[in-house]
Amino acid sequence: MVDVAMVGAGQTKFGNHTLGLKGMWAEAIENAIQSVDHGFQPSDVDEAFIGSIAFGGSQLGNTAALLTEHSGMEGVSVRRVENACASSGFALRDAWMAIKSGQADVVVAGGIEKMNDLSASRKRYWLGVSGDTEWERLAGLTFPGTYALTARRYFHEFDSTHDDLVHVSVKNHMHGYENEVAHLRKQVSFEKAQSGFMVADPLTLYDCCPTSDGASAVILVADHLAHKFTDTPVWVKGSGAGSDHLALHDRPSITQLRATQSAAAKAYTTAGLTAQDIDLAEVHDCFTIAEVLATEDLGFAGRGMGGRFAREGEGRRNEGEVTINASGGLKSKGHPLGATGSGQAVEVFKQLRHQVESQRQVRDAEIGLTHNVGGSGATCAVHIFGRER
Amino acid sequence: MCSAYLWKGALILMQTVYNNNGNFACSQYGEEWAGPDGDRITLAIALLKQLPSGSVNINSFESRLDFPTSVGIQELIEASTNWTISEDSESYLHGHSDSYLVAVTSSSEEPNWPAFSPNMNKTESQQELIDQWSKEVQGVSQGAYVSQAQHIVASSSRLGLKAQNDHGTMVWPPRQLNSEGARIESSTNTLSEPATILTWTRLSSAGAPSEFSGRAPLLDGVSTVLVAFEEGPKGVFMLADDEHEAPEIDGKVRFEVRRLYGQDGMMHYGLKAVLCQS
Repeated sequence: MVDVAMVGAGQTKFGNHTLGLKGMWAEAIENAIQSVDHGFQPSDVDEAFIGSIAFGGSQLGNTAALLTEHSGMEGVSVRRVENACASSGFALRDAWMAIKSGQADVVVAGGIEKMNDLSASRKRYWLGVSGDTEWERLAGLTFPGTYALTARRYFHEFDSTHDDLVHVSVKNHMHGYENEVAHLRKQVSFEKAQSGFMVADPLTLYDCCPTSDGASAVILVADHLAHKFTDTPVWVKGSGAGSDHLALHDRPSITQLRATQSAAAKAYTTAGLTAQDIDLAEVHDCFTIAEVLATEDLGFAGRGMGGRFAREGEGRRNEGEVTINASGGLKSKGHPLGATGSGQAVEVFKQLRHQVESQRQVRDAEIGLTHNVGGSGATCAVHIFGRER
Repeated sequence: MCSAYLWKGALILMQTVYNNNGNFACSQYGEEWAGPDGDRITLAIALLKQLPSGSVNINSFESRLDFPTSVGIQELIEASTNWTISEDSESYLHGHSDSYLVAVTSSSEEPNWPAFSPNMNKTESQQELIDQWSKEVQGVSQGAYVSQAQHIVASSSRLGLKAQNDHGTMVWPPRQLNSEGARIESSTNTLSEPATILTWTRLSSAGAPSEFSGRAPLLDGVSTVLVAFEEGPKGVFMLADDEHEAPEIDGKVRFEVRRLYGQDGMMHYGLKAVLCQS
C-alpha cells in the first residue's frame, strides 16, 4: 500500500489576528509552501481538506472553497471538515486516507478559526456549540464545566489533586514561552497558577486554554513523489480515529476518553509502534485535566497515574521518556479550534526535522504523535509521524 | 381554620384552608416573588405533587402566566405529576392575578387568598432577576438551539424522568436506535429519586453558557451536578436552591420543575436538582 509523506508544513502565529479568514489561510499556505525544500506550486494539489467550526458564522457554508480560491488553489476538489476542536485532526486523517486509497497523490490538510473578532456574548455562544445542546448545555454546561466535572471526579477516584493540574499548566507555559508562534508566551509560577480566578470549580483560569485565531496547513504526498519535494520527508506512519457518546452522562466513565483509546490503538497498530516508541507528543490540553487523561489514554502513564506523571515532571522537555506538548500545547501555544490538529502536525514536522528554535528542540526526536480531541471527547484523531519510512 | 407548613424543607410554603375547601401555596420568599427560577407554574406543579393525585381543571389558571411556554400547561402538569387535566373535574387550579400564590380548590370561583409569612428574605437581586427573565425571553438564539418541537417530544423525559426500556436496560435521556439497529420503545419507566451525585461544578458567570449569561452574574454563578440514578442512567442537571449549601460527591438530590431559560418569546421548563437535607 502507498506510504504517505509530509513534505511541507506551515502556520500563522496563534493569537489575536487583524487578518481575516482569507488572510490567515493564505499566510499558513504560504508558509507551508515555503517549507517545501525543492519547490511547490498550489497547482500541484489534487485534494484539500480544511478543518473549521466556522466560528462566529461569518462564512458558514462553502468555507473551504472560499479559502482555496484565495490561496491559489482554484479548481481543487475541496471540502470543510467539521468535528469540533478535532476538525483538522480529521482533515489530516481524510488526507492520509485519500492518498492511501490511491485516489490522490498530493493533498493539503489544514484548519482555520477566527475567534477574537466577535462580541463577548457571541463568542460565549459559539464556545458552547459542540457539546450536547439539549441535555448538557441547557443544564448550564460549557466545556469548562464538563472538564471541571471530569477533574473533580478524577480527584475523587485517584491519588490526585488540583496541584497536579497546576504542574501541567506551568510546564506548558514554560514550553510555549520560547515558541515564536505561541499565543501566550509567558512563564507562570506554580503559586500564580495555583491561585487563578475560578472559572469552573475546581478549574481556574490557568487550567483553561485561550481562545485564539489561527490557521495551519500541511502538505502530504504519496511515497513516489516524496523525494521530488524534499530530501527529508516526515512519514505519516500511523493514523487512527475514534468516537464516543457526545454527552458525559452517556459514557461508562468520565475519567477516561474511549475515543482517544480507540484512536491511539488504531494509530499504534498501523504504525507498528507502541507508546514507548514516542519521543514527543502534542496532546489536546484544552484544559489541564485533559492532558492528564491523555497521558493515560495514549499509554504514557498507567490508569490513574496521569496526575503523578504530571507531578513528577515526566512530560517536561528532555526530562522524561516522552516530551508532552513541546510547543506549549493548547494551553500556551493556543487553541484556534479548527486549526489546532494540523497545527500539532506542523510542530511535529519541525521537531522531527530539527527546525524549531534550538532551545525548544526535543533531543534525538525520531517519532512524534499528535492527539486531537473534539469537544469533551466525542471525537478523536491520533497520528504518528517518523523520520524513517 | 388552616395549617401551614414547609414542604420538603425549603421549596414552598403550603396552607390547607378547610373552610375554603382548598390548598394554597406560595414560595418560601412569600407572595411577591417565586424565587430565582420559580413562578406560578412551578408552584402549581409543586403543590399538585404534594396532594393526592386526581384530575384538575386549569381553565382559570392558564390566563395567569408570566410568559408563553414552549410546552403547553396541560403537558407540563401531566408530564411532571400524576395529575390529569380535565374540564369536567371538580378540582380547580387557580393562580393569583398579582401575587405568586396558587391554589387547588373545589370551586371554579376565585378563592379568598390567605396570607403567608415568608421564611426567606428578599434578595438584593430580586428585581434584577425578574427583569432579566423578561429580557431573556425576548432574546433569540444566535444559531443552534433546542426547538419547541424538541421540548415537546422529550417532555416526559425532561419533566417526568421517564426512561426507555431497552431489553431490560433503562435508557435516559431518550435514544432512537439501539446497538442492534432496532428502535427503542418510547419512554414508560420512571427513574426513581433521589439520585446520587457523581461530581459537580460551579461555573462563574464567565464560564456559563450564553443562555445563562444574564442571570449567572446575579446568582454568583450556576452549579451543575452529574448524577447517577438507581436504575443505571446518569444525567446532568442544574442545581436549584443551593444558595446556602454546596453539593458533595455521593450526596443525594431530588428533582423539581423550574424555569430553565427563556428564548424566542417562550419560557422553557425542566427538572433541576435540589440537594436533599442531610
